[in-house]
Amino acid sequence: MVLNTGAPPVLSVSDLVKRYRTGTVANDGISFSLHPGEIYGLLGPNGAGKTTLVRQVLGVLRPTAGTITLAGRDVVADPGFARKNVGFLPQGQFDLLTLRVGELIEFSARLRGMDPRSARVRRDELIGQLDLGQFASTSMHAASGGVRRLAGFAAAIAAPARLLVLDEPTNDVDPIRRQLLWNSMGELGEQGATVLLVTHNLAEAERFIDRLAIIDGGRIVREGTPGSLRSLVTDKLRLETAFRGDVSLHPALIAESMAPGRYLFEQRDLSAVSAWLSAAREAGLLADFRIGPPTLDDIYAAVVAPPRELEAAS
Amino acid sequence: MTPIRQYVDLLSVQLRSMRDELWFVAILQLALSLGLVLGMGYLIPDVSEVTAMYLVTGTATQAFVTVGLVMLPQNLSQARAQGRMEYFLTLPISREAYLLSLVTVVAVMALPGVAFSLAFGAWHYGFSLSYDPMFLVVMVLAVFSLAGVGVAMAVYIPHQQATNAATQLIIFYVLFFSPVILPSSQLPELLQQTAKAAPPTYAADAVRATITDLPDTSLTKDIAVMGGFAVGSIALSAFAIRRRG
Repeated sequence: MVLNTGAPPVLSVSDLVKRYRTGTVANDGISFSLHPGEIYGLLGPNGAGKTTLVRQVLGVLRPTAGTITLAGRDVVADPGFARKNVGFLPQGQFDLLTLRVGELIEFSARLRGMDPRSARVRRDELIGQLDLGQFASTSMHAASGGVRRLAGFAAAIAAPARLLVLDEPTNDVDPIRRQLLWNSMGELGEQGATVLLVTHNLAEAERFIDRLAIIDGGRIVREGTPGSLRSLVTDKLRLETAFRGDVSLHPALIAESMAPGRYLFEQRDLSAVSAWLSAAREAGLLADFRIGPPTLDDIYAAVVAPPRELEAAS
Repeated sequence: MTPIRQYVDLLSVQLRSMRDELWFVAILQLALSLGLVLGMGYLIPDVSEVTAMYLVTGTATQAFVTVGLVMLPQNLSQARAQGRMEYFLTLPISREAYLLSLVTVVAVMALPGVAFSLAFGAWHYGFSLSYDPMFLVVMVLAVFSLAGVGVAMAVYIPHQQATNAATQLIIFYVLFFSPVILPSSQLPELLQQTAKAAPPTYAADAVRATITDLPDTSLTKDIAVMGGFAVGSIALSAFAIRRRG
């Protein structure tokens, strides 16, 4: 992708605070910038404040304090500018579900200002690109979750936008079409589009994200490139296991990662852990295992849910 | 893109979105109209021509009420609760164009019930309809005033359940406690006064004035009040959805 860190940021969020009337502070001093052509990941558990942040960037929620500028324009003062210049894929349902797939793409382009003829051309282009041809006349309501998600993605990128905000774009999408979606996003990046990507699919996003922020409790708790964040756990290795019975875990397994059966341990304990795994396998207690470098999942788990000591696993 | 083109596109989106349920709504409207025209006749022995005219024009107005003040606020309130409405608010479209497109759909949905009530009712009770060219203006204003208030209900009532409860009350109120199907003189003083604040009163009055021979002296006032409700409710709703929390 075409990253231009010297150019003025496309999106700049500074000291953003959102306090709801109930007193809940959903965003508590968030600052970050997106450079032209950058794909910026936003990770965090449910309730971390991601959706609140996105709604403010989109101009549908007014911040309590702080600034948001899009291409140099203050979108808190001028939310209409955000609506004209941001393509958006919401996470949940949106009110076009009874349109047909092709119509959703076409009308999204039209409502974003494209003339009818260009909107039809763009619709056909995206249907081809995302392999949605057989679903073009299918009602969104009747389409599978994956096709619906993909059509929503196509709708979000149908008209040119300075910034794309995509909330969990690959949810429910099958592996083949998911690759098409990432390819399409890569192409947009090549063309200089800037993407704010909210995701939980860390392993997948790691291959495409330029930088990411981990958000928790309304604050950015870590920010950097996937590589720089991986350095948080460089002295560790990841172990994935599938046990057949109750097994006393090796004391060197100091942290449990996001998924069951996944652990972190210090690199210096590799021999001890290997010996323990061999013994478990010989005893018929271990069906499968894999050791590798930590992924974004592990970093995320380490940052959001601090490691805890383990007692036993089965 | 001009707000007019946005309105046309949004209306097209709304109509396409509802194509699967339009036939159902049409059948429901016909059944409701048939039920009201016939059922009220059973309740009232020896229906006079004047009573029949009230009954029939009131039923036609009720078709607007069912869609504009019941279905629309219920659907919109649900869309709002589920966060679906917000998607539209992230698009670079005029808020007024969005709200007007919703209101226009109400006209399309109410039309079969209105037409059927009038035609079947007049035939069933044996009176003839007169036609004043102002009837079309009245239809448009009836839709916009009732659906406009329906939109405002969905936007301002904070909870979906509360909106649904309010719409149920409206049905009861309009059927039995307002001068929509009944002449105002048959209602107690309190309800006669209350009716002055209710938009269905003016819609029913205006429909009667333009489609029957019943004497009416207040068409201008009815039109002005309906226009006020329409503009006021759409403006208030646009203000509410423009507000950013």
